[in-house]
Amino acid sequence: MTLVRVAPPLEQDVDLSKTYDAVIVGSGAAGGMAAHVLTTHGLKVLMLEAGKKLPIEQELRSMQWPYDHPRRGDAPPGSHHLSFNEYTIRKPPYAKGAAFKHVYSYVGGWTGSDYVKNILVDEKDHPYTGTNYAWVRARCLGGKTNIWGRLALRLSDYDFKAKSHDGYGEDWPISYADLEPYYDKVDLYLGISGVKENLPHLPDSQFQRPTKLNFGEVKLRESLKKAGQVLTPYRAGVTTDGLKHNKYRSKCYGRGACERRGGCDIHAVFDSPTGLIYPAMDTGNLTIRPNSIAHEILVDKNTGRARGVAFLDSTIRKSYEAKAKVVIVGASTLESARLMLLSRSPQHPNGLGNSSGHVGHNFCEHVMGPGVTGLIKELVGKPHTLDDGRPGGFYIPRFRNLKDRQPGFIRGYGYEGNSGHTMFPAHVMDTAGFGGAFKRSVREHAGAFISMGAFGEVLARYESYVDLDPETKDAWGIPVLRFHYQFSDNERKMAQDMVATGREMLEAAGIEVVGTDEKVLTEGWSIHELGTARMGNDPKTSVLNQFQQSHDVPNLLVVDGSSHVSASCQNPTWTIMALAWRSCDHLADELRKGNL
Amino acid sequence: MTDAPKHPESVSRREMIAATAAALVTPLLPGVATTPPAAVGVPGKFLTAPEFAMLDELTELIIPADDHSPGARAAAVAAYIDGRLAESLEPDWQAKWRSGLQAVDGLSRELNAKPFLEATSDQRVAVLTRMAAAEQDPKTEPERFFGQLKGWTVRGYYTSKIGIHLDQEYKGNVYQRGEFAGYDAK
Repeated sequence: MTLVRVAPPLEQDVDLSKTYDAVIVGSGAAGGMAAHVLTTHGLKVLMLEAGKKLPIEQELRSMQWPYDHPRRGDAPPGSHHLSFNEYTIRKPPYAKGAAFKHVYSYVGGWTGSDYVKNILVDEKDHPYTGTNYAWVRARCLGGKTNIWGRLALRLSDYDFKAKSHDGYGEDWPISYADLEPYYDKVDLYLGISGVKENLPHLPDSQFQRPTKLNFGEVKLRESLKKAGQVLTPYRAGVTTDGLKHNKYRSKCYGRGACERRGGCDIHAVFDSPTGLIYPAMDTGNLTIRPNSIAHEILVDKNTGRARGVAFLDSTIRKSYEAKAKVVIVGASTLESARLMLLSRSPQHPNGLGNSSGHVGHNFCEHVMGPGVTGLIKELVGKPHTLDDGRPGGFYIPRFRNLKDRQPGFIRGYGYEGNSGHTMFPAHVMDTAGFGGAFKRSVREHAGAFISMGAFGEVLARYESYVDLDPETKDAWGIPVLRFHYQFSDNERKMAQDMVATGREMLEAAGIEVVGTDEKVLTEGWSIHELGTARMGNDPKTSVLNQFQQSHDVPNLLVVDGSSHVSASCQNPTWTIMALAWRSCDHLADELRKGNL
Repeated sequence: MTDAPKHPESVSRREMIAATAAALVTPLLPGVATTPPAAVGVPGKFLTAPEFAMLDELTELIIPADDHSPGARAAAVAAYIDGRLAESLEPDWQAKWRSGLQAVDGLSRELNAKPFLEATSDQRVAVLTRMAAAEQDPKTEPERFFGQLKGWTVRGYYTSKIGIHLDQEYKGNVYQRGEFAGYDAK
């Protein structure tokens, strides 16, 4: 093999006697970006990660053939992945009373649960309560960036100024012009592939070479173009041209099997460890401490400011304190809110940074499930081509409520989709019957389907929130989150439109609709939870300022999706990283000026 | 050398051949060269010999060999299902298979007046046809078992070497030369 993998850098010893410039809680997209930016500014940083540092290539085994695995990718007996029905019919905590040894969220239940069993948390150890919610958590170095869906989109002023546009909710305290230079930095540092479309509602990135559309996708694109709509190749957080400044990542070479959830072991796809954390460690300024479960942000009794983080070592169940001038929280939208709520003190009786009472509230995300499947007749019986050697197929950007006003709902949605042949033939279980005719039909139709599913904006509402359950604790004795969260009528009306419009789009392209999904998946399914510590200019109605700095505690930053004011319908990862970069640049500046 | 190869040529020819061979050539051999005869009572890990023989026959009826590729028997689908059953920690699931196979035998006695494995191949197809008649809305035990049987046969077959390489002629999961072959988004 010419592809030489570079081993992770050696870890520096953790010194808990010293005061670091910053301690970062979490190592995903947000924590990783904070580490990259602050160490580049020369600051000494300690990163706490609740999970293990995994030998990730051995976990992912991205090129392993199903038949080379004893269970064709399934986890060993005794493991169970929650299904849609379980999430819907039962109530959390979902693993309560389960006969299985391990219970995991639905991710990996599709195509290879054995590859993610050490990445996802065991629901038995990590319960939550309240309303139904499919909460996917990855506790390991890099968090969910090890298994993310790769769609890397920008938000626009249709999102940042959404209230000005339709009167609902709050505007963000920034505009697109504030964030654009940081989106550019993220693009250039991490690599993104795509095609420029010049859309005001989905700004272009600094793209590397795009992956290509296949026959069915081009057919749909051409048809949509006539109606003034856009279908663009999947904008993937993947380096297709390579990154000379990063020795840990290889460029994508289209080998396929990308649809298997469980990451990319050559790291062409962005993940936080190889993209951000290892290079930050190479500066000599970053120390990481895995197996460190933060359970309280510590406050100085005299000043009320953050002075460090109390954490539990999960291997020996012993508590420690890490001291720092600044505390940066990037533990994920829901875990960050939990940590703030857990950090109660006489100065901050409702939780740290929560004088507004908004921590945990304005919780929003994306609604998904509705979609359509079409059959492209021209492809039936044609030789199979390599169609899944791409990080994704296509994206149809939002088109609703830009210039028009829909009668049933506000905001919008986009479709993710793909067409063509995959390792496991598409829609085989929808093919009726058995025998020679069945087998031939599966073979002839396998590459001839096109499918797309929508992701829509869920409105941020104060009534949608999480708080601490007064009784239930996790395996470490830490109080867990209780959900008060359900989709509203706006999401349900939008979901109906997703199906009807998807059907119209395929039919207009001369593609026969052979299936529709009308079911809205359980809350949480999109894994795009956002907005539990929103930014804003008014400390009475928001938790953070425009630089993700707590209004109450200036040396506390919350740099993950919890800071988002509204969900947009565009996938959040790239925005999380652009915001974290901007905030940490500002923080370094403030520290240099002595303002903190 | 830390990056991906700058030119596809830097993946050595030997490596290319090795990668391709591993993916495509090797699996050709067992499937095509020797299609094993119908199983006649090979003892399973969980299933009894007669049960295993029945399952083997049922999987082959669902995905038979044809002029394009070998079927479920050559792909050892029954052995795969039996292996999963043997290590399962779910007695309910194991029991479902055992009683499902009994129900198939019962249906064969009803339709053909003889056990499934003693029936002619037309008679066996008739049994499966009856089981598959209500695929969308199964009601009887044989009808419900058909869904389980087909689902696991499909999974076993299309994740096997024969299913992936010979039947589907899958092109991915190997080192690719050049760019992804698609259409330009113009």
